[in-house]
Amino acid sequence: MSRNFAFWPIILVLALITAPLAIMYLFLAIDTVTTSAPGSFWPTRFTLEHWRFLWDAKLTGDVWGPTATTFIFASTMVVIVLTVSSTAGYAISRLNLPFRRLFLSGILVMHAFPAVTLLIGVFLVLQFAGLYNTLIGVILVKTGFSIPFGVWIMKGFYDQVPWEIEMAGVQDGASRFTVWWRLILPQVKPGLLSLGIFVFIDGWSEFMLPRILAPSSNFDVLSTYLNRVSDPDTAQYNFNLVKSVGLFYTLPILALYAVFQNRLMNIFSGGTKG
Amino acid sequence: MQVTLKDFTKAFDDLVVIDKMNLTVKDGEMLALLGPSGCGKSTTLFAICGIHRINGGQILFGDRDVGELPSQKRNVGVVFQNYALYPHLTVFDNIAFPLSVRGDSEQAIDRDVRAMAAMTHIEDLLHRRPSQLSGGQQQRVALARALVRKPDVLLLDEPLANLDAKLRLEMRSEIRRIQLETGITAILVTHDQVEAMSMCDRIAIMNKGEILQVATPTEMYRAPVSKFVAGFLGNPPIVMLEGRAEAGRFAIDSVSLPLPARLASTPEGTPISLGIRPEHFGREGAEAISGVVSFVEPQGRETLFDVTIAQGVVLRSIQPVRSDIALGSSVSWVLDTEHLLPFDANGQVL
Amino acid sequence: MRARTSMLGMAFVTPALLLLIAFFFMPVALTTVFAFTNMSTATGITGGSYVVTGNLLRTLGERGVEPAVLEVLEQRVFAVDPKTLAAAASAGVEPQFLAEIEQQLLGQSFDTSRAFEAALKKLPSRPTRTRDLKLAAEPFSRAILNTRYNSREEIGAAITSLAPAASAETVGQITEASYTGWRWVEWRNFSTLLEKPETLRILGNTVFYVTATLAFNVGVGLFLAICIFYLPQKTGGVFSVLWLLPRITPVVLYAVMWKWMTWENGFIYNIAQSLGLPAFNYMKGSVPTAWTIIILLNGFIGASFGMIIFSGALRAIPAQQLWASEVDGATRWQQIRRIILPQLRWPILFVTSYQTLSLLSSYEQIWLTTNGGPGSTTTVWALEAFKAGLSNYTGNLEYAVGAAMALVLVIVGIVLSVLYLRVFRFDELVSKPKIEF
Repeated sequence: MSRNFAFWPIILVLALITAPLAIMYLFLAIDTVTTSAPGSFWPTRFTLEHWRFLWDAKLTGDVWGPTATTFIFASTMVVIVLTVSSTAGYAISRLNLPFRRLFLSGILVMHAFPAVTLLIGVFLVLQFAGLYNTLIGVILVKTGFSIPFGVWIMKGFYDQVPWEIEMAGVQDGASRFTVWWRLILPQVKPGLLSLGIFVFIDGWSEFMLPRILAPSSNFDVLSTYLNRVSDPDTAQYNFNLVKSVGLFYTLPILALYAVFQNRLMNIFSGGTKG
Repeated sequence: MQVTLKDFTKAFDDLVVIDKMNLTVKDGEMLALLGPSGCGKSTTLFAICGIHRINGGQILFGDRDVGELPSQKRNVGVVFQNYALYPHLTVFDNIAFPLSVRGDSEQAIDRDVRAMAAMTHIEDLLHRRPSQLSGGQQQRVALARALVRKPDVLLLDEPLANLDAKLRLEMRSEIRRIQLETGITAILVTHDQVEAMSMCDRIAIMNKGEILQVATPTEMYRAPVSKFVAGFLGNPPIVMLEGRAEAGRFAIDSVSLPLPARLASTPEGTPISLGIRPEHFGREGAEAISGVVSFVEPQGRETLFDVTIAQGVVLRSIQPVRSDIALGSSVSWVLDTEHLLPFDANGQVL
Repeated sequence: MRARTSMLGMAFVTPALLLLIAFFFMPVALTTVFAFTNMSTATGITGGSYVVTGNLLRTLGERGVEPAVLEVLEQRVFAVDPKTLAAAASAGVEPQFLAEIEQQLLGQSFDTSRAFEAALKKLPSRPTRTRDLKLAAEPFSRAILNTRYNSREEIGAAITSLAPAASAETVGQITEASYTGWRWVEWRNFSTLLEKPETLRILGNTVFYVTATLAFNVGVGLFLAICIFYLPQKTGGVFSVLWLLPRITPVVLYAVMWKWMTWENGFIYNIAQSLGLPAFNYMKGSVPTAWTIIILLNGFIGASFGMIIFSGALRAIPAQQLWASEVDGATRWQQIRRIILPQLRWPILFVTSYQTLSLLSSYEQIWLTTNGGPGSTTTVWALEAFKAGLSNYTGNLEYAVGAAMALVLVIVGIVLSVLYLRVFRFDELVSKPKIEF
């Protein structure tokens, strides 16, 4: 911004503290398509053998099943979170409710409150509800955990829509539902998109819940799949293979991040993990 | 459609902002609700259109009590200060919205929207989005959308506040033209006296949640009922002098000024506020007052003079441009005694 | 006039409310309730059954229950009656043999298997093989020992039928003791926690972990934000994109990347080796390196949060202020100290408090990397709670202990988040709906 100072000392220091990150991510990409001599990192040969897991199920087990499950997991979550947050967010932003204040404070407390501490309680809830070890149970829990954040973010987006639009709609004879559906919702579309992408990434990355709440189920998501593959006790264990699986797993996220970076920034500042 | 407020009362939580207000807007009339910000004029407007709920009294459209009805059932058209156009819809769809939620057929919608667009002169803009329109065009769209449903009442909330000076002049007459053409009963909320006087049949002037006077613009300017009304109307504003009655005249410090003849027998020592409009000093009248010109403000066609007639007593005069008078000139100008506006200690006209 | 309650509003919040009840309120309630039980894998979750075991009888004897009754309970009786005959028929005992048993032995009972088998051997159609004979005898046995009863009544009836002499009180005592489900233990989980020396150590670990990571997060976040602020947009953008990567990288992959960095034959290992420095598995090989890695790997995730918040706050500072200070001859350091930092006070407080809470409860990264080791040197409270309740190698999960430990975090979490709500005046973001109908 200001041009009165020299840049290069800053860039140098920044580069230094960013180095570990840069190295990790650089080698994440390089190592998946090269081989190198033991005890060295310099790639000696280009190869696609680390990507064999894509078609050779004997290597690490079928990867496409877990990919589909992960996709279903994340998309279902997106659908539920968007539906529930866009309605509840509108209600607390705009509609007359008893205990509205209390509800909003509750949402905020739950938003700041770290849901992972409730894992034992959630485990018990699922046990009692008979949803332990099921995909639907895990999706519901993850969705539930995301609701305070989603409602809070959506409320923020609704708050930015001028009241006059709402008033004009009502004056034009539309019911509050019509006003919401035809006039207000189109205004928060960008917000919905950002939230949707964020939730998708969040669901796609989730590891803890499927691992803990569905440990012996017959489905795998990519995170648990990768965790299994990256167990050093397995026979085929090597970093290049694990990294390839990991990169495959993370590519959709990286793509979304590359395209929607600016939108996600908005949401990140709403605060999530550590 | 005649609009009547009967003992209309509005409170926010426990704070009563409007207590038992009464007002009648005649059928086909355009009435201005004029007052400073925070006087309750917008609250009144919101109560009439059904955004606020009322705490007491009645709101009648004709004979129909709409006080407990939500906006959707009142059939009121509203133009908001920021126009509140739906940004994601074209001009056509904006105007069509009230008709489409009512369930009109497509042909009917198309016909009505085009008729309305013709009346408001926006036929060429129908495919644009609000963001591609100028302020004046947005205003026209907002008007068209408010009127397309043929509402019983049209409410205008500071409709000109967001326009620049030139457009404001244009839209003033446009809104009036459209109101006269449709013959709709209209209420204009504004804090701008010029708007109120130039556009409306009558003005209801409000302060602190109360209607002080309802009258035609001329009447209200000529015979304000209170000091507040006198001070609110008029540009340049009226000069108000605080003094007392003395031998049938008005005394302030050592200066003595005349009072209208009807006040000749005011008891000695009664406190009086005397209002003198700038056009009533220095043009015609019986009594000459001398002083020194202490300020000159040329306004183009006319010039405004401050004349100090004694320490701390300043009269103001507006006159056609005069080259013979400069700052520091001694003048002796006449005062139009019968047009002076005297008020009692409570601010009521005497 | 009170605004009219919106039915649409009620319908709109209901789904959210249901999800919140199911996955926030219920878990909090269950955590609280079960923190006061002894629930574990052994007791089961949905309630247990009633079983008298040999061990239990010994314990009961020590507690002074009449030995005579206990002796009876230990016995196995063979009785031939309609019930046992039916059981034998469905167990597949040969029909003719069964008919003979019914004919000859109906109504009799035997105290030992030897006696019963002797009686059976006298029958003409008995099986020739001893093994088959024993199998045929089995359905006639009646015993309480190691039999699973589903209700109090069933086991009570069984005890009284075997030991009619036992008093109701004794029967009650035995029944009570034989329950295998979870029971209320009052504050025992908490007092055990207090007594364990391990607890103090974990507490210390937690404090160290939170403080150190927080310092890294806020310090680096601030540094990044200020640097990026001064850099041309493009250059700054590159760094902010890089620092956001850990935040969006799935935690499992992120852990793998750190393992690649720090394990034997990993990146640092190889470099250290070629430089002649000590090379070992840094993640698990020594306590200081384990801690360093944990703090760094969490810090690299967390720093971007501070970076984003601070960058936002920095952009809000009017540029004129900075130009003015430069015209006044301020150095960059003076500009940062006198103009920028004072305006970042609230954002810094916000980031600090927000991250305190999330760090207190985070354990996913530790779990996936050091898993609390070496030993339990990097075990934090949340990880310990999680391991006790949901994940350990022995397979016996102490749900109740986990719940008790989690409850501490839940309470801290609620208190802190309510506090933040107050301090940052988030409740002022609630304004009344303007349309009152």
